[in-house]
Amino acid sequence: MNNRLKVLRAERDWTQADLANELEVSRQTVNAIEKGKFDPSLPLAFKISRLFKMRIEDIFSG
Amino acid sequence: MSKLIDAIICKNLPARDLKNANLVNVWAIAWAASLAIISFISKYEWYSATLPITMAFVFNSGIGIGMILAYKRFLKELDEMERKIQLDALATSVGVTLVAFGGYSILDKAGMAPELQASSLIVLMALTYMAGIIVGRVRYQ
Repeated sequence: MNNRLKVLRAERDWTQADLANELEVSRQTVNAIEKGKFDPSLPLAFKISRLFKMRIEDIFSG
Repeated sequence: MSKLIDAIICKNLPARDLKNANLVNVWAIAWAASLAIISFISKYEWYSATLPITMAFVFNSGIGIGMILAYKRFLKELDEMERKIQLDALATSVGVTLVAFGGYSILDKAGMAPELQASSLIVLMALTYMAGIIVGRVRYQ
């Protein structure tokens, strides 16, 4: 699954560790999601969407 | 090589997960130690009475149940990608052990292999579980 997480994070000047802290997951999880190696669960996708104040479909695309 | 080392030590888990993992390790060490102690004292003659055997069974099983509950809590609160890695590793471990047990039983019944020791299955299960975790962590790096 493709996503814009890396771009959105970079726009806010956050590190992967910063984002991981906000989402209460490990830095490896953020890294794997950004690389498209791991698809987040629906609750985590909602958390990401709330954090960036965007719709899930604007962040993630099939 | 550094990828492999990172996969083994997994230093970047959230503090809550590390705390839960350490708790599981403490329970697992206590369970293994209780098993070793009971195996050691079982050589003594006084151990053949019903009371010490019952006490040993209750003691070891109690610690075992504590270990299972600690692991369950660890999995429940774990970072979601790490949880997937753990569950994949558990599935591989149980699957490999079942298939190995079935295959070995055929050889055992045919007299082509020595009698199967339960400890061999525990070692196989532990090794495949550890290998599964390392493979999973490397895959998602």
